[in-house]
Amino acid sequence: MTLSVEARSKTILICEDDENLRQLIRVVIGAGYHIVESGDGDEALELAKAHHPDLVILDLMLPRLSGMDVLRLLRRESGADGTHILVMSAWPDADGAAIAAGADAFLQKPFEPDTLTAIVQEVLGDPEANA
Amino acid sequence: MRSVSLSTRILAASAVLAVLVAGVFALLAHAVWTLDDARAREAHSKDVRASTVVLEKLVIDLETGLRGFILTGNPRLLQPYNRAARELPRRSLELERLVSGNPGQLHRAQRLRAEIFNYIRDYGNQIVNIAPENLAAVQSGDSTEEGKRSTDAIRKQFDALLRAEDTRAAASAASAQTQSHRAIGVGISALLVCALLILLFGLYLARSTAEPVREVASAATNLAAGDFSVRLAEGGPGEVGELTAAFNHMAEELERRGRELQSQNEMLRESEQKKSELIRIVSHELRTPLASIIGFTSVLLNRDVSPEERRTYLEIVDREGKRLSGLLNDFLDAERLDQGHLHLAPELIDVGKVVAEQVRLFEGQSDKHTLDMELRQRPLPVHGDPNRLAQVVGNLLSNAIKYSPEGGTVRVVAEQENGLVRVSVRDEGLGIPEELQQQVFAKFFRGDATASGIPGSGLGLTIARSVVEAHGGRMDFESGRGEGSVFWLELPVAAGG
Repeated sequence: MTLSVEARSKTILICEDDENLRQLIRVVIGAGYHIVESGDGDEALELAKAHHPDLVILDLMLPRLSGMDVLRLLRRESGADGTHILVMSAWPDADGAAIAAGADAFLQKPFEPDTLTAIVQEVLGDPEANA
Repeated sequence: MRSVSLSTRILAASAVLAVLVAGVFALLAHAVWTLDDARAREAHSKDVRASTVVLEKLVIDLETGLRGFILTGNPRLLQPYNRAARELPRRSLELERLVSGNPGQLHRAQRLRAEIFNYIRDYGNQIVNIAPENLAAVQSGDSTEEGKRSTDAIRKQFDALLRAEDTRAAASAASAQTQSHRAIGVGISALLVCALLILLFGLYLARSTAEPVREVASAATNLAAGDFSVRLAEGGPGEVGELTAAFNHMAEELERRGRELQSQNEMLRESEQKKSELIRIVSHELRTPLASIIGFTSVLLNRDVSPEERRTYLEIVDREGKRLSGLLNDFLDAERLDQGHLHLAPELIDVGKVVAEQVRLFEGQSDKHTLDMELRQRPLPVHGDPNRLAQVVGNLLSNAIKYSPEGGTVRVVAEQENGLVRVSVRDEGLGIPEELQQQVFAKFFRGDATASGIPGSGLGLTIARSVVEAHGGRMDFESGRGEGSVFWLELPVAAGG
């Protein structure tokens, strides 16, 4: 699913099994990024290999392959290529494990849309400035 | 076999000791009595001698009187003779009475009396009668010779009697002494034996009562210190056996209750863990819909959105709000089940209608799944709470969709058979591994669902089964790993329906 095809725009991979939340994340981070999304862990890994996203927004509870497994595999296979990973979870005590496994940031559900916007802009820069 | 009781043993031993002591006392009393008897016989011997001496003196008086009369012819000198002759029968009988218990002595005394009376009759009285007429004749050698013979014979009898009495007294004294010495010896030995027996009895008492009591006390101390495995060797006489058996029984009871308490503690700990797990699950499950509600509300408040977008977002907020409410109802239902307060509002309903409504509701929820419904009869009358039964059917449909993530057909069949209305929901999903099947209806059980990211409280099936059972029905399932599952419920057909 490609919302923007601008050649210079950054790619964001959203892995979240709740469709409403996927939509919310999409709405919150806004246009200006190339967005790919998936509802399960296996598919998320394949998409990551295919698109080399700049940022992965990763839920921990995913069907088939858990978010933690996706995180570990991403870090093992593409640790050096500068992919930022933001982990989101409803488990409040999951931040330590996520950071230890290689996440760059942790956001607890429910979250303030502005906080997510701020993190994305800090990691990827303002899409308006890039354009 | 029940052994002889301790009190019986103590009583028996005491009785034996008492008999022994009484025996010893009797022996000593016998010794004293023997000595007394010997003394009495000695006294009697003395009396016999004294009586004999009196008789001897009287015989001497007879002789002396006669001799004086023979020498002088003076009748005045016969006074001692006459007095002695008068006195003699009484004294003789007195002696005979004294020795009457001894035939030998009695015989001697009787012979003595006969000799004395022969002397008086055949010699003394002849002299007294002849002398006044012929003094010379009585003074003749023949006559005195005859008198002397007579008195010699009398004296011999006296000697024999006294000798026999002496021998008898000496023998009896010696026998009394021997007997009393023997009795004293036996008494002292028996006393020593008694003392020894009393000592042994004391030792036996100490061993058979004090020792077990000490063992029980020490075991009780261990028990008090928390060692419930302590046991005493059972057995021992009567009461001791009862005591050790009772102690062991008590220790067993304590151990059993200790284990019960421990398992209760463990159950409490487990339920405590389940409760904190519940709080974790509740907060997690509430956060996902809350994230949508808060997020979209914030977007609606702070960003410019088109009317179409606004409508979409508001629909999401509405749906997630309802999902949140449904979750809270599940938790409240679970709490009510815990308290036993599940409330039903039963009425006559058509289960087919309830199933059809739920299928329609869930049809729009997933584009991956096909819902295939078959109502074999209409109506399917049941006396039940329509909202609760809708909740049950909805739960089964929701599970069938959630646990077949690859999609596929969910087949719902409702039918009436043998007085029962049966609803079954078959999916083509993950299936339930055999080792987990026992826990499917347990509260908060979710199998691999949590790790697989399948949302839920782990309460749906618990509540569903309780609701079905509250309607007098039953609910169960068949499943295998990778083969999908069939969950079914049966409710009694409403009477007259």
